Amino acid sequence: MPSLLGNIFKGWADYSKGNEEGGHHDYEHMYALVIDLDRCTGCNACSTACYAENNLPVVGEDKFGARQAMHWMRVERYFDEPDMDPDMGPDTSNIEDANETGTQSRGASFLPMMCQHCNAAPCEPVCPVGATYHTVDGLNAQVYNRCIGSRYCANNCPFRVRYFNFYDNSESWPAPMEQQLNPDLSVRSKGVMEKCSMCLQRTRAARDTAKREGRELKDGDIQTACQQTCPTSAILFGDLLDEASAISKVWKNHQVKLGTYKQDKENPELRGYRIFEELNVDTKVLYLERVREV
Amino acid sequence: MTTKIDRRNFLKVLGLGGAGAALAGCDMPSYATMEEGEEQVFSYLAPEEYMVPGIGIWYASTCLQCAAGCGVHGRVREGRALKLEGNPDTAVNKGKLCQMGQAALQTHYNPDRITKPRIGGKEATWPEALAYIKANASGAPVWLTGSIGGHQAVMLDTHLSASGGGKHYAVETVNAQAWQAACADTLGDAHPELHIDKASSVLSFGADFLGTWISPVKFMTDYGEFRGAPRGVLTVVEPAMTLSGANADHWVAARPGSQAAVALGVAHMLATEYAVSTSALPAGAVDAIVAMTPERVSELSGVDAKTLSKIADTLMSNHPSLVIGDGGYETAAAAMTLNLMLGNIGATITPGVELIPADLGVRGGSTKALADFASDAQAGRIGTVFITGTNPVFTAPGGLMMKDALAKIDLKVAVALFEDETTQMCDVVLPLASPLEDWGTHVPPSGAGRGEIHVQQPLMEKLHPDVLGLGDILLGLSQDAGADGLADFDDYYAYLRTAISAMIGTDLETAWQAVLQAGKVQAPAADRVFAANGALTTNVPETNAPTAGQLSLITTARQGLFDGRHANLPWLQEAPDQISKAVWDSWAEIHPATAAGLGLKDGDYVTITSDNGAITTRVFLYKGVHPDAIAVPMGRGHTHYGRYATGIGVNPLSLLDGTADGRTGEFTNTTSVRVQATGDNRHLVRLMDVDRQYGRKLAATISADQHRRNQGGA
Repeated sequence: MPSLLGNIFKGWADYSKGNEEGGHHDYEHMYALVIDLDRCTGCNACSTACYAENNLPVVGEDKFGARQAMHWMRVERYFDEPDMDPDMGPDTSNIEDANETGTQSRGASFLPMMCQHCNAAPCEPVCPVGATYHTVDGLNAQVYNRCIGSRYCANNCPFRVRYFNFYDNSESWPAPMEQQLNPDLSVRSKGVMEKCSMCLQRTRAARDTAKREGRELKDGDIQTACQQTCPTSAILFGDLLDEASAISKVWKNHQVKLGTYKQDKENPELRGYRIFEELNVDTKVLYLERVREV
Repeated sequence: MTTKIDRRNFLKVLGLGGAGAALAGCDMPSYATMEEGEEQVFSYLAPEEYMVPGIGIWYASTCLQCAAGCGVHGRVREGRALKLEGNPDTAVNKGKLCQMGQAALQTHYNPDRITKPRIGGKEATWPEALAYIKANASGAPVWLTGSIGGHQAVMLDTHLSASGGGKHYAVETVNAQAWQAACADTLGDAHPELHIDKASSVLSFGADFLGTWISPVKFMTDYGEFRGAPRGVLTVVEPAMTLSGANADHWVAARPGSQAAVALGVAHMLATEYAVSTSALPAGAVDAIVAMTPERVSELSGVDAKTLSKIADTLMSNHPSLVIGDGGYETAAAAMTLNLMLGNIGATITPGVELIPADLGVRGGSTKALADFASDAQAGRIGTVFITGTNPVFTAPGGLMMKDALAKIDLKVAVALFEDETTQMCDVVLPLASPLEDWGTHVPPSGAGRGEIHVQQPLMEKLHPDVLGLGDILLGLSQDAGADGLADFDDYYAYLRTAISAMIGTDLETAWQAVLQAGKVQAPAADRVFAANGALTTNVPETNAPTAGQLSLITTARQGLFDGRHANLPWLQEAPDQISKAVWDSWAEIHPATAAGLGLKDGDYVTITSDNGAITTRVFLYKGVHPDAIAVPMGRGHTHYGRYATGIGVNPLSLLDGTADGRTGEFTNTTSVRVQATGDNRHLVRLMDVDRQYGRKLAATISADQHRRNQGGA
């Protein structure tokens, strides 16, 4: 039985290690995503696949308008391109134009947005009951049974990707629709916060399969629902602690490191970036910039 | 499940029964385990065959949400279909699926499905319904369907020929008939294979290949490759932004109906500025190109010479290219002239395949068939009609007077999943099995599989015992009409199995199982050969400006509610529209300058009036629509389509007059309308009300030059 003092020392050692070696965590895996915005067409297949996989309720127009929709994965759409080319300055011609009769000269910019599974997640320390915490898989997890609905976590999330069940959404599945519900995860009830779990149930299933087959989990065994359906293969999921994994290579190639709020890239023109990096929340979703012909 | 339950296991089950029951409702892994990797506790004593509690099994089948026929894998657990994914072994969708495909589960589990036959709106039994049909049939029956292919089409033909030789009308509101006609006229092949992945640049004139055109998931998987290194450039010219337009490097707004002029203008530019030879073109096309000077293009379309030159330059510096066009034969034909000039034939456009059992081929739906049906019905040439897979009362242009036409038919039989505006007018409604409960074969129209036919098999038991598959209904009707050679088949499954066994040359059980497992079967097929026949015509309309004081209404299709068939799927109603991000209601897209002229602001209600009717909806202001146009997406505005669709939004198709294109007979999807504010305003519910990032690095962009310097970012 470890002593209280022992725990404090261990905690301190971990903390100082994290400070010295950027991004150090005692994880068994560190699941992360890469989203290539140049491939993303904004078709919304990822979002609907998420509804199907994760038992997300449909709330209807009024609640949607009250920002009570439960889309764990949402596709945002912007018309301006603030940082298209440093030499050209911000481009907002799609929105405002000296010539008001002008039409758009380019398409839109789409941004799939879901829980960024921050390594230094601002939602975690504010939970009064520890319902949201980091797992050994490096995931930001939500324990529905523990959640008391204080909503402090959602308040603290810079990405607005936590969704609160203001209502009992069971009318979302009139018979026989409830038969479609995925039995691998629960249906959340009123008063509970929920969010993207990076399809935790698929991780567990893949791990069970690997164990049953007597082998180690390998890169590509786990696909999130959004990744699997994405028609342009814009989404990649994997373990950053596995240096041979496809996702580790992408992070490395784009010279993006964890554990920092300012990337020191040798080549700053590489497309990889993390959203709101300056907040030092250490997100684990790497976005690749959309490319546009000038 | 054949494992014997011995006493020891029995006690285990007994002892853990309570825990097992509790577990069933909790957050569980895919396997009913007490601990990870321990699989000894089963909650049932004698599960059915293939039903291992807690274990998901994947079955291959085919998606029927649109006519593209993507292969799917359905996850089945405890006898229920839970999730669909793309079948990774198909050439069409390579393991991918769009949101309409994902939502097929809600078609299947929809609470508004028809579960029993109905006569005159009252529930009946199958024998009663069939007896009623027999007693009241008048003349040779005809079929009105959506796009249909494979063995169901063969069976449909069998029924028609055995019962008097009535016609088959295949209707599809969102189709590629104009493009296919232009391909047939230039290449002698209406269905060539397109290779977006092999193109360095793609120029589209209103063909929404990422959204709704021919085989969107196939094109999206190709688009992913297209955007890889070296990165292809996408240019889109259209009057209102589609999903493809929303992904364009260069987006050009053209006045509605003027895309053909722009395409010919680009050809003019290529011939004059870049000395591209026009020798591959028929003489008429050359004359049209010579006549289409930049000044003329600007006059017709509002697209200036600088833009034309940029498009031409993009095509010239990114070779090979692919030019596609739809929404009018002239547009498609003009796009094909560009392909001929640029030498894309054989590079990004290659010959398609011809199935050797030709009767299996797709009867691709058209709107011409709908017009033919309406005029035949109006003229009293139809006595009995069977309707399935289409909702003509909803999708027909208002000018077609579809309700009147239907009313002239003595016996109308709907074979349908849901009550809709059409079934409401039918005398008999036969309950159809859902696509996840039915057998069938489907021929993907993209030709990517080179003759691979996708097999549809049931993923689960029928939810409602009285529903019947389309094949079974067709077989029964054909047998009843005395068709030859069908007497031995008890059901459509038996027929299909025999037919496929004949195709693969073996009736071994293992071979059949292999077909089912793969979800596809290779049909005998031959590559077609391109044969130019020079029939290409390129008559550009003299003018296409709307009547003074009016706007051109454009009815747009979106990957989502599509032509309205998916409006009863709550996931898709709640899925924000890709462009406007609106949910659960219709809207009208209008240019801010036009809106200012009409005194409109975001969320204002307007009444849009044509000669055929009026609709009232809210405006959404943005610059992705030509100032002369107002665009209303189709899909909503149902008056009778279950709890999720009825009474929501408006149907812009009702405003169209059904004017037909000269070459193809397809409806033009625009008409002149008057737009008037009602004075009401209500916030349009959208995913997000901002269109800009306010300088934050959210969806960041990099210029292609920077990208190229880094070889695509490794």
